[in-house]
Amino acid sequence: MAGVRVASAAGPGSDTLASALEAQRERLLPCVHCGFCLPACPTYERLGDENDSPRGRLHLMQAVVDGRLDAASDAFHTHIDRCLGCRACEPVCPSGVEYGTLLELAREAAARARPPALPTRLLLSVMGSRTARSPFFVGGRMLRATGLASLGARILPSEGVLGTGRLGLAMLAASADGTDRIRRARPAGGAHASPLAEGTSPDTTPADPESPNVPSSPSDPPSSAFSAGRRARVGLLEGCVQKGLFERINAATARTLRFNGYDVVPVPMGDCCGALHAHGGDLDGARRLAQRNMDAFERADVDLVVTNAAGCGAAMKEYGTLFDSDADLADRAGAFARRVRDVSELLEEAGPRPGAEVPCTLAYDHPCHLQHAQGLAHAPLAVLGAVPGTEVRVIEGADECCGGAGIYGITHPDLGGRIGRDKVAAVRAAAGDAACTPNPGCMMQIGAGLRLEGARADVVHPVEILDESYRKAGYYE
Amino acid sequence: MSVPLSSKTVRDLRSIVGAAHVITDPDRLLAYESDGLTQYRAAPSAAVLPASSDEVARVVERLHGEGIAIVPRGAGTGLSGGALPSEGAVVLGTARMNRILEVDPDDRLAVVQPGVTNARLTEATRPFDLYYAPDPSSQSTCTLGGNVAENSGGPHCLKYGVTSRYVTGLTVVLAGGRVARLGGSGRVASGGLDLTGLFVGSEGCFGIATAIEVRLLPLPASVRTLLAIFDTMEAAGHAVTGIIGSGLMPAAVEIIDRATIEAVEASVFAAGYPKGVGAALVVEFDGTEAGLDADADRAERCCLEVGAREVRRARSEEERLGLWKGRKKAFGAMGRIAPDLLVQDATVPRTRLPHVLASITEIGKQYELRIANVFHAGDGNLHPNILFDRADPDELERVERASHEIMKLCVDAGGTITGEHGVGIDKRAYMGLVHNETELDMLRRVRGVFDADHLFNPGKVVPDAVETPAEPVGSERASAAHAEAGAP
Ligand SMILES: Cc1cc2nc3c(=O)[nH]c(=O)nc-3n(C[C@H](O)[C@H](O)[C@H](O)COP(=O)(O)OP(=O)(O)OC[C@H]3O[C@@H](n4cnc5c(N)ncnc54)[C@H](O)[C@@H]3O)c2cc1C
Ligand code: SF4
Ligand code: SF4
Repeated sequence: MAGVRVASAAGPGSDTLASALEAQRERLLPCVHCGFCLPACPTYERLGDENDSPRGRLHLMQAVVDGRLDAASDAFHTHIDRCLGCRACEPVCPSGVEYGTLLELAREAAARARPPALPTRLLLSVMGSRTARSPFFVGGRMLRATGLASLGARILPSEGVLGTGRLGLAMLAASADGTDRIRRARPAGGAHASPLAEGTSPDTTPADPESPNVPSSPSDPPSSAFSAGRRARVGLLEGCVQKGLFERINAATARTLRFNGYDVVPVPMGDCCGALHAHGGDLDGARRLAQRNMDAFERADVDLVVTNAAGCGAAMKEYGTLFDSDADLADRAGAFARRVRDVSELLEEAGPRPGAEVPCTLAYDHPCHLQHAQGLAHAPLAVLGAVPGTEVRVIEGADECCGGAGIYGITHPDLGGRIGRDKVAAVRAAAGDAACTPNPGCMMQIGAGLRLEGARADVVHPVEILDESYRKAGYYE
Repeated sequence: MSVPLSSKTVRDLRSIVGAAHVITDPDRLLAYESDGLTQYRAAPSAAVLPASSDEVARVVERLHGEGIAIVPRGAGTGLSGGALPSEGAVVLGTARMNRILEVDPDDRLAVVQPGVTNARLTEATRPFDLYYAPDPSSQSTCTLGGNVAENSGGPHCLKYGVTSRYVTGLTVVLAGGRVARLGGSGRVASGGLDLTGLFVGSEGCFGIATAIEVRLLPLPASVRTLLAIFDTMEAAGHAVTGIIGSGLMPAAVEIIDRATIEAVEASVFAAGYPKGVGAALVVEFDGTEAGLDADADRAERCCLEVGAREVRRARSEEERLGLWKGRKKAFGAMGRIAPDLLVQDATVPRTRLPHVLASITEIGKQYELRIANVFHAGDGNLHPNILFDRADPDELERVERASHEIMKLCVDAGGTITGEHGVGIDKRAYMGLVHNETELDMLRRVRGVFDADHLFNPGKVVPDAVETPAEPVGSERASAAHAEAGAP
């Protein structure tokens, strides 16, 4: 049953704080101290302190492993905590240092030495439990629906505890549907100026046996689940925040995938992906959630696991590494990880089919966990490319973190605020009808930033635009 | 050894640059203990991160007033230990001085703060169809301040020349916090002696450059890139001699050897070289479109004549990057296959390359070390990379000895001990190999003009007294490194 606790995956000696990191010595070694990662790092760019650079953080980790630095020290704690986890340092590293994995281990070492602040612990326990999550989000949706969230974001002071509340409410308000204005816009040409001349039925899509979606690892199930004319049988991760606040995007994901030939099955027992826990240093919590997801999706007998949240995709694609030192589960987790796809990958793979014109201009931002962690910069743009009339303007500095990084804005109001304001300025400079980014966390961060500056704050996910395009074209009727 | 500063000094520094930008916590100073050469480490007494020329002057005045030495630091990518903290010194980092102050497309000049990265300067000038020519392989991250201090070069410096050719003016903060303006407004010398030229390459020992004026070049209209594959290094060497001897003027001529190719192919960066290849040569021509194809054809013939197995030519920018991949990824690939890497740097006359390379292979065999070579073949600048594991003290010892022999070999072949990475701490003991006592004395006295009391980067570049390079070198360095490796 779900919730089986994985006995300390770090193995014997995991009591020593550095042992988890120690086990990863191999991952630290490739760092040759070349500094190529420095200019990619948003915290180093703004603070200029080597301790706030990827190389500096790796140096601190190495010092802990070498026993020269205490994992409970203020230095280790502060600088590991101040990392956004955006992983912009990974693709630029000539040595291929797996920074993201090391960061999670460092966070775990730091958290064991010094438990994180109460709000962080509370948030993690709420997200990690279905029963606690549900009322939490009901409350959130009520604040959002009654307009209280957006009112609070307008009137609360920006400093102190109330400032934190203000940011939280602004993020909540920013989770609201941002497609309204776009829906209302009149197309320049005819309503059905769709280039879709043929093949509106998804069933005509031939199954491609060479498709990368077909599981190829021997430990994966046979591809018998592919019925003729269908692509793969996919299970959607409903997620925690998505299910709580972005149900509409989950629905749009299912609709657009179905229309592109995928067999989308519900996986009601799927859980939070565990990314927040892993980033927060609670690797055991992350493993627990990962196991629940493995159980649920395996039972649903799906070929692929799909998500519309960049952060969840990145985390699930690394389940193999999460269970690295657990011989019993490592293979199973690795096989699971190989089936994980972002929705944009599946849509791009399918074409995707074009719909009706949706005349609008979008200020597009790359989510770090899609671009840097999954190497997916093009796929979401391909999704938007299937929508006639939609102009995409990739904002200046789109490959830099928006400062959202989970709850970074709340835990690091100054630096998070600075990074967030730079992003908002770039979004505003692009002058779109709405901001667009394929990750709920970034949507809320950017939306909140716009709102706090009193700017128009519509933010959309690419699948929402594709969905709107299909709806307009009458494909769902 | 780091010596804590007095609380009064710390307070004063904080009031100059802001509390967040003065680092004194010993745990936080660990990050400043090494540059790109991690064989050495020593924590500073503090690290200070000023944001302006004026702040630098005040920090220098304050610290030098107490006789505290200062070690300038840019991005810390240096490979000779130039930014390694000297004993008791304070590191002055330029990371916050990262503004481009001016781009003047008409006069083709730019003025930058020292912490601006080399690549960012080129990015900022590209809209004007201009660029900054010196292109160290570390250009995405190394700073102009570091480039000035090291007189850095890069693959394309074969045709375009190194940093000193491009720096036309400097604002420098000298010992005690005095400020001087050298050159400026496009003139290389400000009348009289070329002080700007003297400062370029001073490795942080003369003072701190706080504003740098450089010349920009128009972007070349076109480029042609070839990759030639050879069975032997010797054949590749002959090809280089042939190309240069035929009067061609390539922008870059780079070679990677068999060991490097094997490292690249074994790593995640596999560039798709055929198996069992002895050497790969990258040749690039740039300039106006007319004549480029003819040049590339001639270079290709030079390669084929001496037995190149195949010659590939890039037809798009993407393909061009593909051909460069093996060269550009070499450093990282080696990091993947060995725990530690010592990147050496030396220059020999181009014609002696085959002899020197063969001897380096011999040295590797003799000391049972893996040595891989990548180099700027066009100007004879070698980078032997010694792969090792510092956890093995015996191996470390052999690395030190092999290193020394390689240096001696290059000097004996008529070359010198550094091509572009500088002397720093690492090559200081080799200075006696290339300079006699009269020359060393001149170097000391020139340094004294700028910094009589050695308050900037003390102990670097020029050995204080006569050091016989033969024995002490290996053992001194080895034991210093041993102490570090064994340090808890
Ligand atoms: C992977 C890799 C590839 C490299 N490739 C090349 C190459 O192709 N060509 C090449 O020439 N070098 C190369 N280098 C070496 C290095 O990048 C250069 O020496 C570079 O110029 C150093 O710049 P930095 O900003 O990192 O300076 P640092 O390493 O921080 O400092 C270097 C020296 O400059 C001094 N300094 C720094 N800023 C100032 C200032 N404002 N005023 C006065 N002194 C200052 C320091 O005290 C120190 O002595 C490479 C290094 C790496 C890691
Ligand atoms: S780029 Fe990679 S190898 Fe270089 S310092 Fe950063 S993490 Fe280390
Ligand atoms: S993850 Fe982002 S913030 Fe953290 S070190 Fe890497 S680049 Fe910097």
